Amino acid sequence: MSRGETRSVYAIAIHGGAGALPRAALSGEREQRCRAGLSAALDGGYAVLERGGSSLDAVVAAVRILEDDPSFNAGRGAALTREGAAELDAAVMDGRQQRAGAVASVRHVRNPVELARRVMEKSRHVLLVGAGAEEFALEEGFQLVPNHYFRIAERQRQLESEQRGEPVPDLVPPGTGTVGAVARDAAGNLAAATSTGGLTNKRPGRVGDSPIIGAGTYAKNGVCAVSATGHGEYFIRAVAAHHVCAAVEHRGLTLEQAVHELLHQVLRGLGGDGGLIAVDRDGRLVLDFSTEGMYRGARDSSGRRELSIY
Amino acid sequence: MSRRTLPWLCLLLAAGPLAAEPHPLVIVIHGGAGVIEPSRMTAERAASYRAGLAAALDAGYAVLERGGSSLDAVSAAVRTMEDDPQFNAGRGAVLNHDGIAELDAALMDGNGPRAGAVAAVHHVKNPIELARLVMDKSPHVLLVGAGAEEFALEQGVTLVPESYFVVPQRLKELEEARRARTVPMRPPVPQGTGTVGAVALDRAGNLAAATSTGGLTNKHAGRVGDSPIIGAGTYADDRTCAVSGTGEGEYFMRQLVAYDICALVDYRHLSLAEAVHQEIHEKLQRTGGEGGVIALDPRGNFAMDFNSAGMFRGMRDSSGHRVIAMYRDAQ
Repeated sequence: MSRGETRSVYAIAIHGGAGALPRAALSGEREQRCRAGLSAALDGGYAVLERGGSSLDAVVAAVRILEDDPSFNAGRGAALTREGAAELDAAVMDGRQQRAGAVASVRHVRNPVELARRVMEKSRHVLLVGAGAEEFALEEGFQLVPNHYFRIAERQRQLESEQRGEPVPDLVPPGTGTVGAVARDAAGNLAAATSTGGLTNKRPGRVGDSPIIGAGTYAKNGVCAVSATGHGEYFIRAVAAHHVCAAVEHRGLTLEQAVHELLHQVLRGLGGDGGLIAVDRDGRLVLDFSTEGMYRGARDSSGRRELSIY
Repeated sequence: MSRRTLPWLCLLLAAGPLAAEPHPLVIVIHGGAGVIEPSRMTAERAASYRAGLAAALDAGYAVLERGGSSLDAVSAAVRTMEDDPQFNAGRGAVLNHDGIAELDAALMDGNGPRAGAVAAVHHVKNPIELARLVMDKSPHVLLVGAGAEEFALEQGVTLVPESYFVVPQRLKELEEARRARTVPMRPPVPQGTGTVGAVALDRAGNLAAATSTGGLTNKHAGRVGDSPIIGAGTYADDRTCAVSGTGEGEYFMRQLVAYDICALVDYRHLSLAEAVHQEIHEKLQRTGGEGGVIALDPRGNFAMDFNSAGMFRGMRDSSGHRVIAMYRDAQ
């Protein structure tokens, strides 16, 4: 069994957020839309691997597709701050030399994951935030978009009901969260990318785990790559993504064991919920969560292809 | 069951009557690592830096001595250095490309663990205190930019103008850096007055860590380094250790230096000194990063190690040790 999985030369996993999404609240039509979005991202990323592309290109391609899809909480369709604006965070990490790039609190960048990649490749920095990050985007020739590009009616309604203190109506499953991808390419390189709009009704300037290297996003060749989703503050305090890799690297745990320990012991112990996707050096994929569900998909060169929500 | 009780028995047997003793009080601080060429350091400047470190060390230790928490102690030490214009934090912080001091800070309570951080703030006199408010008064860990300052106002923090932070020396350094058209990883000499930080152990056995910085001279607006990133420049866990880092932030971020030291202690069962040595002189060295850390474990073992020419540092404990040093030979 494990030998069969080890033969898998390249592999990708994606997520579209974890959360408490009661099955009853998810209409058939919405479920179909989310599945179609996941499917497009999974295959978009996989196509890159299939034609010999890098894991870095694959995770960026997958995340970009999810950012452009208004069904997910990243890029267009992101959750709105208490002031009604979209404020976006993203990160990417290349396991090869452990290069990393991230942006936080940007409001006018269509594909934050692309800007994160540019920070990694064209600056000597890892994290740029706010107006300074957008200044860098302009210097790099990015075309900025108005904030209303990101705002969709559903998120507006979600924000309003949240501010009225009413439960979020079932037309917007709160589980449609953060998006992310991890991949191993044929050359054995690992990469991870994560992008998010954060929490609905969040305080402007609040940064969660997604753009924090080691918390929501991490990749190290020969060990593993991780992208997380969930209650960001807990993932930051637990240094979640790096925790998984450190447990694999220093303690010789399998990826499954390391992920399970993090989600069901460490984060549970702190009171936090969420999920994550991870890939190890052999291309073994793990998709696990402590919430009721997590939008997710996995595909590898052994022919496995799965999309699931619960 | 036996796996849990056995180490306790061993500890009791080994420690004997000491087992009932309160924890030792220890505080360790740094005022930055970097290229401080000893040849460029005048006796007068050295004395002034030492005085600044001594003031911070004693302010933090005084908190521990009167029974205060390690969290209060590291905050007090860091605040003292933020107010001292010699150090690259708070007043006297280095200036970004636009000539503005853009400040980052974080602190972590090893008991919890709880954490708070702020980044890219321009008008907060003591960023470490705002990081503390983020931890104590918000459900969040990290707030950045204008949103962080909005939170400061809501919490009754008085904002100061950007000019409060600007000192002539930093303007001069920015001019030099602009002329060189680089973002120097190592600020121009003569100085190694970098990031400031503190770690402490209190009577109750709780660890805490705090770090505050202005980052890099001539940095891109919005650039955030390792200091406010939990696990990179700042980390504390009562079970393992507390760490505050200083140096080339991007390397510390990619490598999760602070967390990794604690992971080496926890998983590889290295002593604190061994873990710090491996992290700084092997792992960081290998990636080409330069810097240093201060670290402290729950038994009061500490480390102050660096792979740069020097690191401003100091430590004081309840058995009477008090050290202030700048270079490798403990001078």
